[in-house]
Amino acid sequence: MTILAASHMQGPPIDWAALSPFVALTTGGLLVLLLGLLRPPVVRERMVPLLTLITLGVTLAFEIAHFKHRASFISGALRFDDLALVLDMVFVVAAIAAVALSTRIPAVREAGHGEYHSLLLFSLLGMAVLVSAQNLVTLFLGFELLSIPLYVLCAAEHRREGSLESGLKYLVIGSVGSATLVYGLALVYGSTGSTDFSSIGAAVSAGKLSGGVGGDSMLLTGVALVVVGFAFKASVAPFHQWTPDVYEGAPTPITAFMATATKAAALGVFLRFFNVAVIGSQNTWAPMLAALAAITMIVGNIGALGQSSLKRMLGYSGVAQAGYMLGGVVVGTRLGVDATVLYIAIYLGMNLAAFAVVVAVEKTGGEGDHIGALRGLGSRAPWLAWPMTIAMLALAGIPGTAGFIGKFQLIHALVDGNYTWLAIVLVVASMISLGYYLRVVATMWMTGPAIAPVPYAPIAGGSQEADADGGSQEAKGSDGDAGLPLSPATAIPLPEIAFVALLFAAATVFFGIFPSPLFDLVNHAGAALSGLVP
Amino acid sequence: MTATTFAWLVLLCPLVGTVVIALGWNRWPGRSAGWIGTAAIAAAFGCAVVTLVSIRTRAPEHRELSSTLWNYAVTSGLDAKMQILVDPLSVFMITVVSGVSALIHLYSVTYMQSDRGLHRYFAYLNFFVLSMLLLVLAGNFVILIIGWAFVGAASYLLISFWYRRSTATRAGLKAFVINVVGDVGLVLGTFFIFKHTGTVDFLKVFALTPHVFGHDSTDLVVACLLLGVGAFAKSAQVPLHTWLPDAMEGPTPVSALIHAATMVTAGVYLIVRMHPLFEQAPTAADVTAIGGGLTLTVAATIALVVTDLKRVIAYSTMSQIGYMIMGASVGAYSAAMFHLMTHAFFKALLFMAAGSLIGAMAGVQSLDRMGGFRRVLPFTFVSFMVGGLALTGLPPFSGWLSKDDILAFLDHRGGGFEILGVLGYLGAFLTGLYTFRMIFRAFWGEPVEEARELEHGHLAHADVPRNPMTGEEEDTDIGFPGPGHYIAEREMPMKVAMGVLAVLALIGGLIQIPGVDLGIERFLSTTFADSHLVRSEPSTASSWVGLAIGAGAALIAITIAYRVWVAEPGTATRVRERLPALYTFLANKWYFDEAIDFLIVRPALTVGRLAGSVLERTVIEGLLTGGAVGAVRVGSAAVRRWQTGFVRYYAAAMLICLSGVALYFLISS
Repeated sequence: MTILAASHMQGPPIDWAALSPFVALTTGGLLVLLLGLLRPPVVRERMVPLLTLITLGVTLAFEIAHFKHRASFISGALRFDDLALVLDMVFVVAAIAAVALSTRIPAVREAGHGEYHSLLLFSLLGMAVLVSAQNLVTLFLGFELLSIPLYVLCAAEHRREGSLESGLKYLVIGSVGSATLVYGLALVYGSTGSTDFSSIGAAVSAGKLSGGVGGDSMLLTGVALVVVGFAFKASVAPFHQWTPDVYEGAPTPITAFMATATKAAALGVFLRFFNVAVIGSQNTWAPMLAALAAITMIVGNIGALGQSSLKRMLGYSGVAQAGYMLGGVVVGTRLGVDATVLYIAIYLGMNLAAFAVVVAVEKTGGEGDHIGALRGLGSRAPWLAWPMTIAMLALAGIPGTAGFIGKFQLIHALVDGNYTWLAIVLVVASMISLGYYLRVVATMWMTGPAIAPVPYAPIAGGSQEADADGGSQEAKGSDGDAGLPLSPATAIPLPEIAFVALLFAAATVFFGIFPSPLFDLVNHAGAALSGLVP
Repeated sequence: MTATTFAWLVLLCPLVGTVVIALGWNRWPGRSAGWIGTAAIAAAFGCAVVTLVSIRTRAPEHRELSSTLWNYAVTSGLDAKMQILVDPLSVFMITVVSGVSALIHLYSVTYMQSDRGLHRYFAYLNFFVLSMLLLVLAGNFVILIIGWAFVGAASYLLISFWYRRSTATRAGLKAFVINVVGDVGLVLGTFFIFKHTGTVDFLKVFALTPHVFGHDSTDLVVACLLLGVGAFAKSAQVPLHTWLPDAMEGPTPVSALIHAATMVTAGVYLIVRMHPLFEQAPTAADVTAIGGGLTLTVAATIALVVTDLKRVIAYSTMSQIGYMIMGASVGAYSAAMFHLMTHAFFKALLFMAAGSLIGAMAGVQSLDRMGGFRRVLPFTFVSFMVGGLALTGLPPFSGWLSKDDILAFLDHRGGGFEILGVLGYLGAFLTGLYTFRMIFRAFWGEPVEEARELEHGHLAHADVPRNPMTGEEEDTDIGFPGPGHYIAEREMPMKVAMGVLAVLALIGGLIQIPGVDLGIERFLSTTFADSHLVRSEPSTASSWVGLAIGAGAALIAITIAYRVWVAEPGTATRVRERLPALYTFLANKWYFDEAIDFLIVRPALTVGRLAGSVLERTVIEGLLTGGAVGAVRVGSAAVRRWQTGFVRYYAAAMLICLSGVALYFLISS
């Protein structure tokens, strides 16, 4: 009987052409892994990154080809709409930048070129599945596919204690997050009887649940657990604590990738789940998310103030920025979705520029990612100092940069959606953020011995126990990569890294002055979510 | 290539000029920066003329073109675009602005050649022209505000151009502060309008105005009054005028460009551009009209007693702009624009001639020290004379036709506006008086030492350069005026610039003669097609009566001036001794500076000091700053304390917070 049943069972029809971005990523990932097995160093060091870039390029081309063509496949488990495609493009760009930044770091050598790059591609595939997911199962599948390669990548530099620690911490905490999420998804399924977003949405909106949305404690608990699971991935406070530790320890290109792509994926799934599936109970979850957003903005910015490690600082800044973006989810309007997607795209540019400079400084400075390594960068390496300056000003939201446009739209959406108080918190938090962004700018340009490195107590070493354990987060990040001394007034060393920095900084300024292409792009993305207040 | 393409090119030329001069700041040898700047503005003028021609080939009803280069922020509820509006009014303005600016650049090439900051000067000057053209071409309020603020900034930079001169920097600050008052007015006014119409696009706002605002509704009146504050600050109208005389601290060509021909007319342009709003809010229009009338008399009386040559011309500028503001407010739009054009010609000419005269005096500006330059500076004298006669409004000079065009309209409109008209004729009389006081004192009488020296072919040269206002000693390095002094008689570029302007000042008015041809009115009619005020034009006969009265007033004034300052010298002193109170009152410029000082600056300072000592120290530093810094510090410490670095704590924190979130959901439902 079972055999008979099995033979009768048919998989849903799959439209492979429409799935082409996923196919490209999967094939590319496998090929890269195999190519990495070949012995000649030229294959491993040149061909593997090249093949990765080709895979990414092909994926991007497929995504662009699919743009404006909404397609749903595998029985509606996945959907390519403009929201998913815009976010996919963000992921691909982040991955391209990560590959470019990875060319000279020890992590790639230690982990093996093939493994490193294929893990990056599979993580990317997970993100793409996550934001295309239309039901709870694919959602969780994407979530795990995105996370597991990243655990490994964080520990890729396995001869460095900090990297190993980062990977391990991410794995443990990430597992807690995943477990929370899967519990939440199970409860949501249990209460609505469906895994499909649209059916869940219909059930929630129609009030078919016992006692309505408000009275169904199973659904509410499920939603609470889902909030936590997503919040963990997007590093929303108070579920952000892994962020600075992991960001600091991980190889910097991976940090850059996590800070941009993972965050974008998490916010994308926030949009999908909250603004589609459970939009009907917005009155219930919105105040909670708003409170989380406010806490995130404050905690992120206050936490960043005292940091002397650039990567930790950017980690906390990323926490704060996640809070800003969450604001667009809270309001649950078309304007809010647009503003969030716009900010994700802008955040990609400014953050990648900053991380590219951190990679370059780590390679050449000999001081690791300590803020002191930036001293005198303005005169020493203006091609790095300018992108960093632009990135910092943009992250702070100074007019003339894309960061301003992004924040302006978020505030617009918040005020429009009757969350004026959250907009005020956003502005106050941005004011606080100037405190550490401008410190970076000042360190670079106001040179000379007068500015001594500001001593700050190392955070993780705050407790005696932590110091005694040797579990300090202030691990020496610089032991393996003190080579390539940067002599002033020579040709630009690390051309590909400087190129990434300059390119994204230029984009940040360009879209600050000509933002309309971005507006058009996110307008399509916002249109993909139906059922929102226009 | 359409008209709008050329209009964009008009903006591009000075932009390129600014960037090229500024980036190559010390690589341009000699006067080449000046030639680059002049070429850029001349090219802009060329494009402006092409725009003018191409717009004239279109049918009159199709002469309003809006062009968008890119969208800045276009989302629901906001439509900020990089947008220009090309219509007869803006085309008329860009032609005048770029044309006069090109001549002033040409003049500056020699006049400023010995200055050490020559590159900076021309970069600023090009930037100024760019800002002014942007202001004029703006197709929406956002671009208008940007241009408006840029113009203020450029003016500040140029007034304080000699930045080591304390009087110049102080004058720059004063101009900037008062201009910012105007900026605030403009921005707030824009906000009022945007709040009601939901758009910043000029054409849409104008189309919506009659529908969303009631006739003379409070909101619109307030909005127009706020726009009026902007216009008054930029155009130096009472009581926001005190910056303009001080702005004469800048180089003389700057005075000619900014503080006579272009920037100060921005307020007039604003009111004319916003005429659909002002016509819907007649109360606000009346206020600005009275303000203009007041300014023209106040400024003319002050000009009678001021002894600094450039400041006399500055007060005369205020007074003439008073006419324009008055005209623009009552509906005499094309007359106001006509006067704006002729004023640009003859006032720029007067400033240039004054510059030449000051060159001959080796930097001295006081009328008390001048005299008898008629024979040694023949070209300057003739130019000054042409400018002066045009300013006075004697037939057939351009000022005669344009000024009386405004006054005829006022008399024709009636309803109390005749009083302003009478004030205008009184002003015309005073104009004649102070203009010829200037001319007779500088060019007639016994030649002073400098004039005699020039007679022997030697240009006077100060042993120690001094600040003409305070007498402080200066050097000639960067930040102070250069060592050289130049007169038009010896410098070809100056001569060409002044010659062209003199011809224009002489015949520029012939474009619009009542009963013969109303060229400007015809051309601008597209812009004012929606106005109900312009339809009631005065008849040709009454226009000519007005012209005759104006000419009569000017003639009487010149005769009296001749008697007082040439035929019977000493009369002025006797009058002054007979009326000491009036003289002191006028010499102190109606005590406007003192009044502002007493009413605004001092109370502000007192409050500021009090705030500094009490509020700042206890409330701000103690409570707010201290509190905020303390809170941030405590928060930072708390965040660090939580950040132990141990996974077990993180997991625990996560679970605790998770319980909190779940509890919230369960309790709140």
